Order: sequence, then C-alpha cells, then structure tokens
Amino acid sequence: MTKFDPAIVDACIERVGSKARHALPLLQEVQAAFGYLPHEAVQRLAERTECALSTLWSIATFYDQFRFKPAGRHCIKVCVGTACHVKGGEQVYEAFRRHFKIEGDKDTDASQQFTVSRAACLGCCTLAPAVQIGDVTYGHVTQETIGAVIADFLDRQKQAGKGAVHGDDGDIPPEGEIRIGLGSCCVARGSGKLLAAIQKVIADTAIRVRVKHVGCVGMCYQTPLLEIVSPGGERTIYVKVKPEDARSILLKHFRPPGPVRRLTYSLRHTLDRMLTDTLALPVDCYPADMRDPWVADFLVRQKRIATEHCGTLGPLDLGEYRSSGGFEALEKAVRQLSPDEIIEQVHRSGLRGRGGAGYATSLKWKAVATSQSSQKYIVCNGDEGDPGAFMDRMLMESYPFRIVEGMVIAARAVGAAKGYLYIRDEYPLAIERVTHAIELCKANGYLGEHILGSDLTLELAICRGAGAFVCGEETALLKSIEGKRPAPRLRPPYPARQGLWGMPTLINNVETYSFVPWIIRSGAQSFSALGTAQSKGTKVFALAGKVARGGLIEIPMGMSVRQVVNEIGGGIAAGSKLKAVQIGGPSGGCVPASLADIPIDFESLHQAGAIMGSGGMVVLDETDCMVDIAKYFLEFTQRQSCGRCTFCRIGTKRMLEILERLCVGKGKSEDLEKLLELAQLIQNTSICGLGKTAPNPVISTLKYFRDEYEAHLRGVCPAAKCRGLITYTISDDCIGCTICAQQCPVGAIAMKPYEKHAIDNDKCIRCGTCKAVCPAKAVSVK
Amino acid sequence: MIRLTIDNKTLQSAPGTTVLQAARSAGIYIPALCFKEGFKPATSCMVCVVRVEGVRSLVPACGLRVSEGMRVITDSDEIRKARTAAIELLLSDHSGDCVAPCEIGCPANMDIPQMLRQIAAGDLAGAIATIKKDIPLPATLGRICPAPCEKVCRRAAADGAVSIRLLKRFAADADLSSDTPFKPSNAAPIGKKVAIIGAGPAGLSAAYYLRQGGVQCDLYDRHPHPGGGLRSEQIDRSLLPESVIDREIDILLSQGIQFYGNTRLGTEIEFGALTNTYNAVLLAVGTEVLELAKWSIPIQDNKIQANRGSYRVLNWENLFAAGTCIGSRNLCVRAVADGKEAAKEILNHLTGLDCEPLRPYNHRLGKLNPDRLKAVLAGASAASRLEPEELGDREAANQARRCLKCDCGKKNNCGLRELATEFKAVQKAWSGELSAQAGDRSSQGLIQFDAGKCIKCGLCVQEAIRNGEKPGPAFEGRGFAMRVAVPLGGFLNEAERLTAQKYAAVCPTGAMCLADER
Repeated sequence: MTKFDPAIVDACIERVGSKARHALPLLQEVQAAFGYLPHEAVQRLAERTECALSTLWSIATFYDQFRFKPAGRHCIKVCVGTACHVKGGEQVYEAFRRHFKIEGDKDTDASQQFTVSRAACLGCCTLAPAVQIGDVTYGHVTQETIGAVIADFLDRQKQAGKGAVHGDDGDIPPEGEIRIGLGSCCVARGSGKLLAAIQKVIADTAIRVRVKHVGCVGMCYQTPLLEIVSPGGERTIYVKVKPEDARSILLKHFRPPGPVRRLTYSLRHTLDRMLTDTLALPVDCYPADMRDPWVADFLVRQKRIATEHCGTLGPLDLGEYRSSGGFEALEKAVRQLSPDEIIEQVHRSGLRGRGGAGYATSLKWKAVATSQSSQKYIVCNGDEGDPGAFMDRMLMESYPFRIVEGMVIAARAVGAAKGYLYIRDEYPLAIERVTHAIELCKANGYLGEHILGSDLTLELAICRGAGAFVCGEETALLKSIEGKRPAPRLRPPYPARQGLWGMPTLINNVETYSFVPWIIRSGAQSFSALGTAQSKGTKVFALAGKVARGGLIEIPMGMSVRQVVNEIGGGIAAGSKLKAVQIGGPSGGCVPASLADIPIDFESLHQAGAIMGSGGMVVLDETDCMVDIAKYFLEFTQRQSCGRCTFCRIGTKRMLEILERLCVGKGKSEDLEKLLELAQLIQNTSICGLGKTAPNPVISTLKYFRDEYEAHLRGVCPAAKCRGLITYTISDDCIGCTICAQQCPVGAIAMKPYEKHAIDNDKCIRCGTCKAVCPAKAVSVK
Repeated sequence: MIRLTIDNKTLQSAPGTTVLQAARSAGIYIPALCFKEGFKPATSCMVCVVRVEGVRSLVPACGLRVSEGMRVITDSDEIRKARTAAIELLLSDHSGDCVAPCEIGCPANMDIPQMLRQIAAGDLAGAIATIKKDIPLPATLGRICPAPCEKVCRRAAADGAVSIRLLKRFAADADLSSDTPFKPSNAAPIGKKVAIIGAGPAGLSAAYYLRQGGVQCDLYDRHPHPGGGLRSEQIDRSLLPESVIDREIDILLSQGIQFYGNTRLGTEIEFGALTNTYNAVLLAVGTEVLELAKWSIPIQDNKIQANRGSYRVLNWENLFAAGTCIGSRNLCVRAVADGKEAAKEILNHLTGLDCEPLRPYNHRLGKLNPDRLKAVLAGASAASRLEPEELGDREAANQARRCLKCDCGKKNNCGLRELATEFKAVQKAWSGELSAQAGDRSSQGLIQFDAGKCIKCGLCVQEAIRNGEKPGPAFEGRGFAMRVAVPLGGFLNEAERLTAQKYAAVCPTGAMCLADER
C-alpha cells in the first residue's frame, strides 16, 4: 500500500490524460498506484482534470473494482459464478474468511496481508470452485484445501523473481513439437509450472523440440493438457499432466543428443529426485490417443468456426494465423468486395448476434452503414459478465487476430475508422493478448492507415471494464467508454444511429466478430448450411457444472441439449441424474431434463423459457435446488442493477427477499403469486436487457419446478441444499475416527475417539465439511 | 412535423418532442413523478409508462421521442396496474411519515407540527390560524382535551411527549385576550342556508366552517346559552371556567352565525318547517336523540343512523347528523372534528360536489426501534417536557422546539403522495428492506436531505450540474443500495440559498426541503 502523494496522482494524469472521457482509466490507474482510491486522490483528479467530482464519484462507486479502504497485500478472489456456486464456492469463501478470522463487514485480515472478496465469475467454470490469489488461479478448491492453497501461494511469492529456465536453442532445427495450452484454465491448473518444467528438461537434455504455446484447447476438464507431435508427426495428448511428469513424457518421445548430455541429465535427475522425493506426488496422467472414444466424442461432435484450429494455433503467432487462412477474408473484403457486398454476405450467412438477443447481424451493419455521419465507431463487446460463461475470454485469449480481422472487415462494411474493444478487467490475459495482437496487426499493415495498401483506416483501442455486469448492455458499455456513469438509457435511438459520442456505432459481441472472417473466406452458404432454419452456423458454449467433461465447445445450432450433455459432456458425473441445464446465465433460464431433447437454437430456447444468452451452459443434477438457483441468479442481477428504474431497483429486491424467505422456510402462501406478478411487471417495464431478463431464472424454475417451490413453502428443501432448511446428522455407521470433529470449522462436533459422534445443530453452519471428510459415509443431510 | 396517434387522437408534433410532452400539449393526461420540464428525462420512476403499438414492453413516455406513425395508448388496466405497482414499489422503499403521528392521532387532524414551528418562532398569530383551520374552540379544548396527540407523540417513548395541549392553550389564550382575535376569511355568500340543531361543540364547529364556506347558518338549542355538553356539571370548572367558554363562543358566533336559544324542536320550531325552509339540516343534538323518532328519523340503540363518511341520515336527502348523536366517541375534540367534517360534506352537497373525495394517502413510519429513536432525538432540542399552569413566551418556544418534526416538509406538495392518493396505493403492498432509514438526514446547511424519502431520480444531480454547484449531490453506488449523496461523504451545507431553493423545488418528494421551513 502506497501513502497518498499528489505527485503520484499527477503522474497518473500524465500517463492517461485529463479529458472527461478518461475518468474510468484515471480511476483505475490511481487505484493501481495506491491499492485503493484515497479520497484525497479523487479530489485531486477532480481538481486537475476535466472530470467533475460528482462524475468521478458516481463512477468510482458504481464499479466493483474500486475500493476506498486500503486492501491487504494480496487479494483473494473467490469465484461465486454459477458453476462455482453449485460446487460450493460460497462455502469456500466463508472458509477463507474463517481462516483469516475476518468478521463482520471487514474484508481484510488483521495483519493486512490478505483481502478476501467474492468474484462474480472468474470464467474458469470447469475448475469450480475457483479462487484467484494475486495473479494465480487455483481450481477445485475446497474448504479442506485452503490451507494448502495459501501455503502454495506464499511459496510462489518466495520463488518469484528467480526467473524461468529458458530452453530454446534456436540454431538446431527442431525435430518435433510440444503444444501446451496457455488459456486461463490451463494456467490455473498449473500449465505455467508445467511449461517451466518442460523448458528445464529441454535445457538439461538439449532435446531439439519446439515448444509451442497454444490457446485454449477446449477440453478444460482435462487440463493441463500437453500435446506431443513426435519427429515422425505422430500426435499424442497427455492430460492432467503434472510438472514432475515432464521428464518422463519428454524422454519417451525425444532422445537427447549425444551421450554426455544424457549423462549429465541423468545425474542431475537423480540429484533432483533425492532432493524432491518427499514432495513427489503419484503420477496420475496418461496419454490419450486422438482416436480414444472419449476424446473423439468430445471433439468430433463439434464444428469449429470461431474456434477454428483449436489447440494448434499459437495465439500471438501472426505468421501461423496467416498460413492457416488468416487475413484471407480481409484481403477479399478489401480487394474484391464493396461494403454493400460484405453486408450482403453476412446477410446471406444468416449470422445473428451472439451476445444474447440474436438480432440479425447484417441489419445492424446496414443501419450503421446507411447512417450519414462523418465519424462512425465500431465497438467489440468483450464484457462477458455472465457468471458461468467464458467463451469470449477463451476467444480473446486464443484467437485475438480473428477478432481483430472480423472487426476490420466490419469497419470497412459500415465505414468506421475508429474502434474500441471493451474487455472486462477480470480477464487480464485476454487484455494482454488482444493488446499485443493489435500491435502486431498494426505493425503488419492489418490495422492503422492504408490497411493492406488500400484507403481503409481503422484505429483500435482497448477499454478495460471495471466490474459491472450491466456494462455488457450496449448503451451502458458506450457510456462506460465515454467516461460516464454506465446506466443504460432508453432505446431508441439505437447506437447504430446515435452511439459513441452521439455518432453511429456498430457494436457486436466478440463471438459475432469471430465468425466474420470464416464467413467471408468460406462463403455465406457454408455458414448457412449449418444450423437450423432460423439459427445458422455454430455457437460457442461454456459447458460446466455437473458433467464429466466440461469445456469450451462449439457446436452446430440445432444439436439437442441432451446430446451436448451426454455426448460432448460425457453425461452427469458420479451417477446422479440430470435435472436441468441452465442456459444463458442470469438472463436465461433452466431447461428441465424433460425438455432436454429440444434443439439448441434461438427460438427453441426462448420458447422453453431460457435464452441463448452469451452461451453459458451449466448442467444441474438432482443435488441442485432450483429455488436456490433462482435465488442465486436474482441475487446477482439485483446486485448488478444500475438502480435507475423503479421496477428493477426495488422490484428485483422484493423478489429476492421472497426467495430468501422461501429458502429459510419463512415463505408465505401468497409468495409464489407475488413472485410471478413482480416478475411480469419487471419484464414488462424495464428499459434495458438486464431488467427485462432478470426475472427469467425465477419464471422458468417456477414453471418447471413449482413443486420444489411449494416444498420450500412447507419448509422442505428436496435437494437438501438450502442451509436454513437442512440438518446434518451422524448415523450409527460412525467409526469414531474423529476426522469430522477435527475438520469442523466451528467446533460443532465434540471429539470422542472410538465413540459415535454427534453434531450440535445450534453451532453447525451447514458447511458440509463433515459429510465430505467422513470415511464411513456416516453423515447424512436432511 | 411528425404525425402520431395518442389514445386515438391524431396529433402533430415537432421532431424531438417526447410522447409525454406531445400528450400533455394535446390535453391528454399522463401521470409522471420524476419528470420536470426543462430537465433531461430521468426515466426512473416508471409512473409515466404507456403502451406503444409494436413494442413488446411498456415504455416511459417521458423519455420516448415521437416518431412517424407511432400509436400510443396512455390508459388501460395493464398500464394502471403497472403505474400502481411502480408507486407501491417506491412506497415500499420510502421511510417517513407524510403527516406526523400527532396529527393523525388528533381526531380533528390538526397540523400540530406546523403550530409548534410557529410557536417556536414566536409567531403566535400564525399558530392560532393553523389551529383554527381545524379546531374552532382551542382555548376550551386546551383545557379539557385528553390529548390523544400526546399519547402518540414519538417523543413520548423517550423523555415525554411534547406538551402539545399546553402549547395550544397558550396560543389560544393569547388570542382570546387579544383586542383583535383571529378572524377566519369567510367566502362570499353562496345563497344557501343551513339549520343546525344543537349548539354543543359539534354544532358550533359545523356552523363555524359552514360560515367560512359562505353558507348562512342558524344555530338552534333548547338551552338558553350555546355550549351544550361544555356546560355540563361533570366538567371541573376550575379546569374550564365558564368565562373561557363564553369568550371563545362569542368570538365564534361573531363571524355572523345566528344563535336561537331556548328553542326546542317540535315546540318552538317545527321539524317539517325546518326541512322546507333550509337547504339542509344538521342534527348535532348530543345525547338527546329519542324524541327525534317521531319525525321518522331512523334511531337504533339510542343513536341516529347516519353514514359515517357523508354524515347523511339514512333515507334522507338533505338531513345530516354529527357528533355524539350518531355514535361518535363522547369526546369534545371528536365532536369538533365531526362538526368540521359534516360541514365539508354539507358544503359539497349544497354546491353539487357530491362525489366522494379521495382520501389523501398517508405514509406511516410506525414505531421506531430504540436505536432509530435515539438517532432522531440526537437532532432535536434536549429540553424536557413542561406541565405547568402558566408559561411565558420563551418557555413555550423552547417546549415547541422539542418537536421531532416527524411530518414531511412536502406533505402538501409531494408528487409521490399525490400519485399514491390518485392510484389508491397501499403502503405495504410490497414491503421489505429499506435502502435508507428515516432520519438519515444531512441537514447542516440550508437544505435538509432525507435519504429515506429519495426516489433516486437524480433531478437534484442535474440541478447541481446546472448551477455548477460544488460539491453537489451525485449518484453513489448502484442497485438497491444506490443513493444520492455528496461525493466523498460530504454534506450539502455549502449550497447557496438560491440553489437550496432550487433543490427543494425540483425534488419530487420530501427528500429535499428547505431546512429553515422545517
């Protein structure tokens, strides 16, 4: 934490700028400098820039990112996104607070070392529950493992700065390739450490092999994932690889050159083993052949357009992107097609916006193209705020060039010369990659003036979000870029007529732009040949929750929900039964198992009470309570409402209060009717997408799972999930091992070796630890 | 010009006009709370929603620009339901009283906080005018009223109620001993006359207010002197001397009310003649009802059967009854209140305004928990309750300053209250947690800001920007917890006089009021 110093603020102003539109980046810069926003710093910004104090204040208090009290040295963000929620993220959050003895409205431990907060969604849904400490992400964190996680983090802190071993010889032509996924999920599961281990082995052994960083491989459930292309061209995938496995895997495929090297290697190897033996963990990685049925099922059903060359493309390798068809579409669009012809192609492809509502992309483009204005803007909406969705993050991390190419083509079609990519701050890797990609494109004539030697000009800049779901709404997003308080406004006028700074603005989602190069390159027909009558092409989904194989998937429209769950997702994990699939996040709804055969397209999902949304797909099984799910989403939207409209601001709060009552058994008989009445009023009166869709999770669960609501009215939670309605008991199967008593975080179980244990229900916080740790399965919940 | 249809009326409007403006200029009413002409539409309250053909949801008319061929419906069941819900949701997050508990507790609904403010400011003439708006016999009542107002005074739960009755007597006695006692302004004669039978508190009160409405009043009583029950032997004369009654009634009758003493119904005057000669007759006969049965006046359990809202005697067209004789509580202040209410009803009847008036909406804060009460007390005078027989100007003013000002500064011009009345809104339709508590006031300056009453429309934020006010109010936070506040935890104490007036004027509710008018 840095002490307030006006010179630091002035330096921030120097770096960022002092115009009114710089309000948000200025605040971000100041917070980065001090670790929080000191009041004096905000005051100084108001004095030294064109930003009014009231505007700065209304912005600073709007976004989650900003804090006004000093934070601890390290920030622990516990993800409570949908997938993490259903896997106990909230319990993990509470466990961290208990661990650091943080109570009441405090969020930082007494020693000012750790600040613990909830994160709306870290976008690592397949790792649920996920936790981010500093820039390290941990997956599958449980209440029992937080001690180890903290220890590991502190260990890394000590290691930091020692530098990674580099193993690229360069002069000798490589004899094969090692592909390692460096998407956020892979990194969170240790692919960074794995990479370091691989590089160390290469350095030690002088194996001539190219190590290639590829983007997200999609099979997030198997990360870290290592693909070996041996000198003969044969491909082998290793899944769940641990750093200590690197040696044996590499040595299996590649031979170190010369006997001396080999000898030194084995010596050092032995030494290492001796030093690290105590820490050695059992190896549980195995090679997987591309033809193995589970890999085939996961991959074969998919059709890759937005995620084309998944797992083989280096995210920032411009040459490789070019050699695999990249920028062909741009060449075509610049040299062969007129703006109208580009729009015609997009029209014929049948592409609809992938941000949620499914508005025809070509109509939007046409509206901007036909708006008369000297200045037009193009914006990419990368504010993927839905908990349970991480497609856009993966696309930005793995295929930044594709997005840029799509935007340049769109800019030519509509006549825009300046554009912005608005990326949420929770995605640092995406911001880094896209920033880098823009620089590379500019240096290579794909951006800037005279693109590909033509008179086409496009300048792209990145705007970092600051933690507000509502900024995914287009009018709010534009206000955020303009440096205003991002409360959505009434449409019309639509951004296509009056957008950024009042100028015509094209705003599309990341995935939408990602389809454009493929459509132009392969032809509109190829795209429209895929999918259903109304919904063409493919859709990228983030598949997570209670499935065996979660990940980033791209499927042709029209595939059924059941196919996705069973064939791609490998069915429900651990023998439970499919209950519902939540599609579309907080704006969507739950498709019950009974409707799992409906095709996935805009119309069918809408009819079923869900929406395509941005593509979060969280699979729920019988242990998930639907009232709890509805409450979870409403809690989210309620907190994210900008607060402008009465119905959204107060109405959603009243709905949430009813759901909260239900979940603790204090519901009233008229509550279900009141819920519905409010839900319809909110849908019918809100001016933006957030409000209009906020009641969807409640409406759809109430429609398909009314019996569960009624059970809650009687004080029963059928899924035994709602903590206010359940009790844990220990049966006669108890072997008296005392593990539960040792692990109980609140001392609700007295330690009685070799006797049957009992739970003090007054002390019990229903965290479920005892049930999880009991070796005799003697703990039951009712 | 743009052509559009609103409620089947075809209009032409300039481009850029909003639907709300277009409708209003065509005389079509659309209710609105957070819209003020000349300000950017806040599109916040959602009371002005209308239906536009081809649009799936309802749209706020204040922010919607007219477009060619647009077809708008401004009133339907669906729209009324949504508007009512918008108002009721706002009320569910509204914390405060429209009128103070004492005013509601007073059977005559006297504006007690206003009287106290005037006494505190030494304005006794103003105080008596406030009192006589609702109570024509304050010197009398100031001595014998059981003071239900003090029982519900919020301060009663802490260190004793404000001595309301004593202060009322103080103001009334000052008026009685004055050479120029208070005279109400009476309306010009409307050419109607009313006979009132019984010159007790109810009859006197009815006569007083009917006279103010321009009606000729004749007051009949079988006793030689007016006063009815006030002259009863049950009243302790050391408490209420006859001289006070005489003086107070004298002033009342001097407004031009004819009193006929020793006049008994059926002997000195005929009932039939009365109903024929007068436009209306009011029975305010107290406990003496039995003999009325012979004129086919419905009597049950020794009470005249009359409608308690319209004071009209059952089965009669122009016969009214008020006070104890219709079963009202045998309480002087109740009788006075009945007389006043009956006068209003009779006046409505005589002027042909026979419709049922809307009951003004009253938001109730209810009982405060000890912590809240403590917080509210912190901002008031620490003086203790007074109960002496005599008191001087300064003691009276000090006592009046003990008032917690529970009433709302905008009770007579609050947009939310007017709409809640119009839509018959129910306070507890959606009750739940409050985003701000009543008494969360920041009033160090000329403006008093009560966050509990803020509807978060931001008109004051706009006003601040217009006036270049630093630091003006700004939006803070988002969602349910969003509020209007001065940045960095500041207060509005630096607001200039003129800006303060503008804030108070632009705020649609009682969230912003001028502190010195409170």
